[in-house]
Amino acid sequence: MRIDAAAYACRWQGVAPSAKGLFALAGIAAAWLARSPAALGMLALLSMLATLAGARVPLRTYLAVAMAPLGFLSLSCLTMLVTPAAGGGWQWTPALFPAVAGIALRSLAVLAAVLGLVLTTPMPDLLLLLRRLRVPELLLDMMALCYRMLFVLRQAWDEGSTAQAARLGHGGWRQSWRSTGLLAGQMAVQVWQRASALQMAADARAWQGSLRFLPASFPDARRQVALALLAGAVLLAMAVCDHVWG
Amino acid sequence: MIELDAVSHTFADGSAGLSGCSLALAGGRRHALLGANGAGKTTLLQHLNGLLRPSAGHLRWRGNSYDYGRAGLTDLRRRVGLVFQNPDRQLFSALVEEDVSFGPLNLGLDDATVRARVASALDAVGLGGFGRRPVHQLSFGQKKRVCIAGVLAMEPEVLLLDEPMAGLDAPMQAELEALLDRLAARGVTIVLSTHDIDFAWRWADDIHMMAAGRCIASTPAHQLPSQLDALRAAGQRPPLALALHAELVAREVLPAGAAPRSMDALLAALRALPATELSGEIQL
Repeated sequence: MRIDAAAYACRWQGVAPSAKGLFALAGIAAAWLARSPAALGMLALLSMLATLAGARVPLRTYLAVAMAPLGFLSLSCLTMLVTPAAGGGWQWTPALFPAVAGIALRSLAVLAAVLGLVLTTPMPDLLLLLRRLRVPELLLDMMALCYRMLFVLRQAWDEGSTAQAARLGHGGWRQSWRSTGLLAGQMAVQVWQRASALQMAADARAWQGSLRFLPASFPDARRQVALALLAGAVLLAMAVCDHVWG
Repeated sequence: MIELDAVSHTFADGSAGLSGCSLALAGGRRHALLGANGAGKTTLLQHLNGLLRPSAGHLRWRGNSYDYGRAGLTDLRRRVGLVFQNPDRQLFSALVEEDVSFGPLNLGLDDATVRARVASALDAVGLGGFGRRPVHQLSFGQKKRVCIAGVLAMEPEVLLLDEPMAGLDAPMQAELEALLDRLAARGVTIVLSTHDIDFAWRWADDIHMMAAGRCIASTPAHQLPSQLDALRAAGQRPPLALALHAELVAREVLPAGAAPRSMDALLAALRALPATELSGEIQL
């Protein structure tokens, strides 16, 4: 929900998804090419700056969204520094620190590029981009339905949970567990009912077998793609220079 | 325009949705379906749109039996659009304009035509400029209007609405009523189900009363005063304006004549009377 809200509120909401996709792709490719920690750090920093300063995504939102992948990344990197000892057991291996730091920075640069895309691109625009990239229609239909149902079911869950709380359903941990279980069971029925209702609603509007929607138009797309290509080229040039002369 | 001839429908669980329902809906008019919960109003609307097929009986569009083949249903649903009661059960796209474009694209129209229809439908429901808004950020009333726009974009001749006023506050109901008036003025035939007898009395040209899966009476709205028994059988009380007018006529406050169609009209009739001093004593 936080990602969705940020994508709709940011300054780049109206920017063509192809432009943002190209810039993110360039960031990922540059992170893959660059070698030195300094270059990788710079790439990560530039992607973050583009998201925070360029698209005006709030820092608090950025950190909240990045927290989970950063936690995973930190844990993975820390475990890489622990190796089996010769006499059995485990030992701390500082000698691996440069290699692990390189991996961490590379991952961070890729993460920053991906976050730049998802935090500035609403889901419907991402679906549009995937449609242009010839992703199978069935998968896109399912993604579109899942996205919509996420909000519908969340609302149904909130309403059910509030109704339970109003009748002391969450008075203690035992009641809370019971209420949550009951609600989960009820949600399964609701999912089935809502799926039937959506099928009926689609049939009522002459559904022909696939969910077809009007593609969004981005009148400035050409200029935006050109700018994204330029910015992406700068990232790639940095990475190539680092790769060749670093 | 649409006729139902002894239509029955039995659901998979064995319950009867419609039982020998016969009804004729004239084109270019405003029709209100009245009935208690479970009377068969929603089932009837779903038959009109071809979502349900009768277990017995026939439906006719301009004299021809409904064609339940793929092409026939597409043609029928282009002409007869249905707006569901709960918008969250109808809207499945992320963006407003995407959802509104769903129907016209299913009709095989080109993108430019669809884009023009989407803009026109959103303007008609007062949501011009909302096209790029995510559906989940809209209020209930706005979602309801998006549902109507989604059907209007298919440019139907008949618009079916299942309890359109349900869940709307008074200002939103007034907005929706104004929208229905505009659509009726454009020649769209409107059929809606409602529990609000005062609204039906004020708005409809024809009133159809349902009970236990049957249409027990159909009448031009101005003749409703002669159908009060059928109205009660359909689980409805007489409209307030009608009942109050009858009382005022009985007490010779107002002259006998056609009953006003709304409380506002009744108040206007009262205000038009010359102001007189009350005579006599009030006995408590």
